[in-house]
Amino acid sequence: MSQLLPYLGVSLLLLVVSALWARQLFITRKTRIELIVPQKREPTSGSTASHRDLGERIFDLVDWDFVSRNVPSEIQQMFLGERTILAISWLRRTRTRVSLLMRAHVAAVGQIADLHLATELKLAVNYLVVLTLCNLLIAWIWARGPVRTRKMVGKTLRTVARLRGAFEQLMARVSAET
Amino acid sequence: MFGQILWWMEIATEAFILVRSIDARVYRKYLAFYIYLTVVFLIDLLRLCVLTLRPSVYTPFYWYTEFLHAGFGYAVILEIYKHALNKSPGAARIARTFLWGVLAAVILKVTWNAVSGPVWSPGTTWAALERDLRTVQAILLAGIIALLAYYVVATGRNLKGIIFGYSAYIYACVVSLAFGSLPGYGLRPGWRLVQPIAYLAALLIWSYTLWSYSPNPATETESKIERDYKLIAEKTRRALARASSFLKLGGEL
Repeated sequence: MSQLLPYLGVSLLLLVVSALWARQLFITRKTRIELIVPQKREPTSGSTASHRDLGERIFDLVDWDFVSRNVPSEIQQMFLGERTILAISWLRRTRTRVSLLMRAHVAAVGQIADLHLATELKLAVNYLVVLTLCNLLIAWIWARGPVRTRKMVGKTLRTVARLRGAFEQLMARVSAET
Repeated sequence: MFGQILWWMEIATEAFILVRSIDARVYRKYLAFYIYLTVVFLIDLLRLCVLTLRPSVYTPFYWYTEFLHAGFGYAVILEIYKHALNKSPGAARIARTFLWGVLAAVILKVTWNAVSGPVWSPGTTWAALERDLRTVQAILLAGIIALLAYYVVATGRNLKGIIFGYSAYIYACVVSLAFGSLPGYGLRPGWRLVQPIAYLAALLIWSYTLWSYSPNPATETESKIERDYKLIAEKTRRALARASSFLKLGGEL
């Protein structure tokens, strides 16, 4: 039976890829995706925190250090519950932003003749790593809370930075050609 | 008996699709695909004649013509490649690299097997050869479909039908031929019906989706593409500039 494995693997690959494409055809309404970016606002004294600042704030331990020393355990549990919701929401938003970025990239570069396979593969792998890390973090935070997952968040953010660095290099090369 | 009924239904459906393609003038748009279908239709008619007039030679004749059937199937893949990626030069370039890579791997494997393999018998050779041909087609199809999905390439009803129909048939072929090559499985009647049923399903899909010509959605003009891309690139650069702060955050954490 072991000699069947390569053939079953290939047929399963074809089935999965076809199913994913069929799903995309049903879900996708637009063929070109535009990257929706909020308009830049002038900083004011009471401005809303950026996405990065939010992430820092959510996972920072200063608030937890204060809460764990000065309030009863019921309030601590409430704090952890609320902070868990915030953390998961922030991670989902990060995941959506990265997905939008990637979709804009593939929509744009599909028309370019001089695609670099190595760069495309690198971006695709990094994108998958970020998605996987985000999903793992969401599950981990849901199970263990945001305080204990601080280190994993750092790794996710470093991976996101690498992805964006690779994307920036690609965009710089593409813009030089156009 | 059920196998015979399936066979007649296949011949009738093939004839219907070919006649309709001439009537609706679709055959010119997908010439390689209709050449494949014509070859398969003629093979089926020849097999019927041989089975009726010279049943003793039907088995070897079947395998010789099955090899032709599998070989001409590559015309379907070329048709898909030609129509799906002609408006996406970047994705087409990646597809060409992938196709050449698969072809090189197949040639290497065939050469290696010929040099190092034991003496083979005709009975198992044709089935194994068809299985391997279909497996390569499955890999090529999976690669092209993955590119279509990844780059969100717009496709029309005709091309979708050709892709889904042929993918379903190839999937069934690979699975049934793989199990059929095992000792004891080849003689089970059920396994012999998998391929004809899958092929009939593919024919019915093609009958519906190729009823009339439905081209792929047109892409924007070149100037609009350039303008949209520059706009997207500029927005992406701004997004990356904001996201570059993650570098500092990642270092601190």
